[in-house]
Amino acid sequence: MLNPLQRRMLRRRIVQAVPVIIMATFSVFMLLKLLPGDVAITLAGENATSERIEEIRQIHGLDRPLLVQYGQWAWNAVQGDLSNSLLSGEAVTTTLARVFPNTMFIVCYAIVLSIVIGVPLGLLAASQAGGLADRLVMLGSSVGVALPNFWIAMILVVVLALNRQLFPATGFVSPWEDPLGAVWYATLPAVALAASGVAEVARQLRSSLVEVLNSQHFRTLHAKGLPFRTVLWKHGLRNVSVNLLTVISLLVNRTLAATVVVEVVFAIPGMGNTIVNATLQRDFPVVQGAVLAMVLTVITVNLIADMLYSVLDPRISQR
Amino acid sequence: MSRRTEEIINSLPPLRRRQVLAGMAGVAAAGLLPKAALAQAGDTLKIRGNANPSSLDPATGGAGSDHVYLYNFFDTLVDWEPETLAPRPGLAASWEFTDPKTLVFKLQDGVTFQDGTPFNAEAVKFNLDRNRTAALSNIKRDVANIANVEATDDLTVTLTLSAPDTALPLILSDRAGMMVSPAALGNDPEANMERNPVGTGPWAFESWTDGEKVSGTRFADHWRKGVPGVDNIEILVIPEAATGLRSVQSGQVNIAYQLDERQQQLVDKMPNLTLVAGPTLYIYQLYVNSARGALKDARVRRALSMAIDREAFVKVTQAGVGEPAYMNLPKAHWAWSEDAAKLTTFDPDGARALMEEAGYGDGLELDLRGYPDQGSVQRQEFLLAQWKKIGVTGRFQNAPVAEASGRFFGEEKVGDLLLSAWTGRPDPSLTYALLYSESSYYNPGRVAPPEGYDAAVQKSRESDNQSERAAALATAQELAMGAQLSIPLSVRYEVDAATANVRDYQANLLGKPKFRDVKLG
Repeated sequence: MLNPLQRRMLRRRIVQAVPVIIMATFSVFMLLKLLPGDVAITLAGENATSERIEEIRQIHGLDRPLLVQYGQWAWNAVQGDLSNSLLSGEAVTTTLARVFPNTMFIVCYAIVLSIVIGVPLGLLAASQAGGLADRLVMLGSSVGVALPNFWIAMILVVVLALNRQLFPATGFVSPWEDPLGAVWYATLPAVALAASGVAEVARQLRSSLVEVLNSQHFRTLHAKGLPFRTVLWKHGLRNVSVNLLTVISLLVNRTLAATVVVEVVFAIPGMGNTIVNATLQRDFPVVQGAVLAMVLTVITVNLIADMLYSVLDPRISQR
Repeated sequence: MSRRTEEIINSLPPLRRRQVLAGMAGVAAAGLLPKAALAQAGDTLKIRGNANPSSLDPATGGAGSDHVYLYNFFDTLVDWEPETLAPRPGLAASWEFTDPKTLVFKLQDGVTFQDGTPFNAEAVKFNLDRNRTAALSNIKRDVANIANVEATDDLTVTLTLSAPDTALPLILSDRAGMMVSPAALGNDPEANMERNPVGTGPWAFESWTDGEKVSGTRFADHWRKGVPGVDNIEILVIPEAATGLRSVQSGQVNIAYQLDERQQQLVDKMPNLTLVAGPTLYIYQLYVNSARGALKDARVRRALSMAIDREAFVKVTQAGVGEPAYMNLPKAHWAWSEDAAKLTTFDPDGARALMEEAGYGDGLELDLRGYPDQGSVQRQEFLLAQWKKIGVTGRFQNAPVAEASGRFFGEEKVGDLLLSAWTGRPDPSLTYALLYSESSYYNPGRVAPPEGYDAAVQKSRESDNQSERAAALATAQELAMGAQLSIPLSVRYEVDAATANVRDYQANLLGKPKFRDVKLG
């Protein structure tokens, strides 16, 4: 379990998270209010009178000062009530409980792909630094980093879904209801999201490994007669594991953000789609709730990464 | 392997069949084949919906995109001909104005709600009273002319009106005429069925997952014979148009409606899709503030209209899918008038002469307003190029719809012209009353229309004879176009894509499809 130093670090990190959460939700709230457009007009319907619009503003408390509106939302949120969607009336917690697992499923799928493909490529490139394999991997990863994932998504859809019909072009199946179907539906979006992840993992792993393999410590390991494979897997990987962990935790956060576009392309009912539609309709409780969930996820991922650092390298928690 | 699985595999194209069989060898042996891969397609009609419904209660919703969902669960008192929007019987078998202020409906016999309760005159009274008086009702204004509703006998309803209003039958083909089950609301007009609709429609509501799907199953006791044509309906919410088209192209849905006009060329090139297209009431037009500067002069307004080549406008901005609009209704509508349409012409020389006559021979700069989306900007560029030839210049200041129209029509009244659209109303007299009446919101200058205009619109609401109504509305249209109170540009066409197995699907003039007759086969 956690030692006292780790426990202290955990407490400190959780306290530090509070202002981050407040700042993120407050700035999103204010941005949403600065946007032109009024949800009351949408709610009032097509032939609405101005009295009806005013009445709707009062019903939903949209006529109160902005700080009061935010304060009310925050106070309810602390008590676990993220209020209801202004448009559909559904509780925001219900919406999030439905869409959040979908997004996390695709994100996790993409991260697994990034690691499973990226790590061997990085090892291959590092073990043959300067050789043909290295150059090919580096070229491929430059392309992977440079291509926007929505473009990759479109190409995948045209080639693998519309022309060859190997995968569905749009839609999603819940992993709880049908795990294999969920994998089938999520493959194209996950591949689109993973393209830059694979590239990033391979590049970072290669460059840190090359540095480590050229150090005097490794020359000694060779000199004492250890086979190259043992040097690479046992000593090399352990030495770069902290770097790799940093890359992966950043990747999780970036992939989470990238779902906003990819979910729209594949019509996946996830966080990204929810945020886009709620923003377009100025449905601020839904946007606020979704942003809160995203912020909490990022903070949690960072926290887990921090804890793992101290496991991989015990010196870290002593600093 | 089950027979069903075999059938599906045999129906696949050869290449795909090999791939699937090869891939399945291991997976199927373990009984792990994804359920989604073999999802039953036979009797479920899948539709791409373009927005999450605002509500499934006809009285409380606000979005024009809701109708496509509502029509599945609710019938309306009055129905319409898809091609012309002329009224025809719905839940009401017939109706009659016994005097200009009394409208009597005879109801269909033997209709029940999906909860098993009977549909009768009392139910109609409950619905109409709820729509016009309940605090939650968003459609009070639609039925404001109804002063009293009386259930005369089990199948007869008598409406007493506060003013003659023959627009009512068609108004009752819209939200206000969708009949909800009073029992499902516990006979409480203030209760709502936003998330659990119960009506008399072809499908009974099954589920609504926000932003994802609305589904229904066949209502076995539906009163129309052979309706619905398909056992289950699912509308999948996919707001993005390109994704919507891909979803029908890949066969995941059967119908994608209200696609972008420019997508028609794509649909044409896809051999597995059928294109269903037709005119709608949606008309791109310029709203004119006739109370501002140079636009006070009718000759300037007229010149602006005459300078526009509408045929070219349709070709350039709608990829040729549409028709030029010479008045505020499409040609297919029952109240379209040839005489009124003739008043709008393309004549750049005449336009230049008019500008000179009005004292703007040296040019005129206008304050133009619009929306920032790609299609709007393309329309703006086309107009600027045409107006340049008669010396009219300006720059469009763009803002999102709610903001731009709010500032143009509301208290601020900024801008001379707004490039926008008129989405249409079920009864054309509403269109004319809303567009040009002196107090109407959509008349930004609040300028009084020409002498006789209001009388013509009123006359159209006093007669229940369709040709008399059309004649009165034509007079109104001629007066409005004579004074050039707005500048209609073109009619937007419904562009729908359907998979090859969809039968009996047709577009309608309202631009809001109904699926009850669609069959799969």
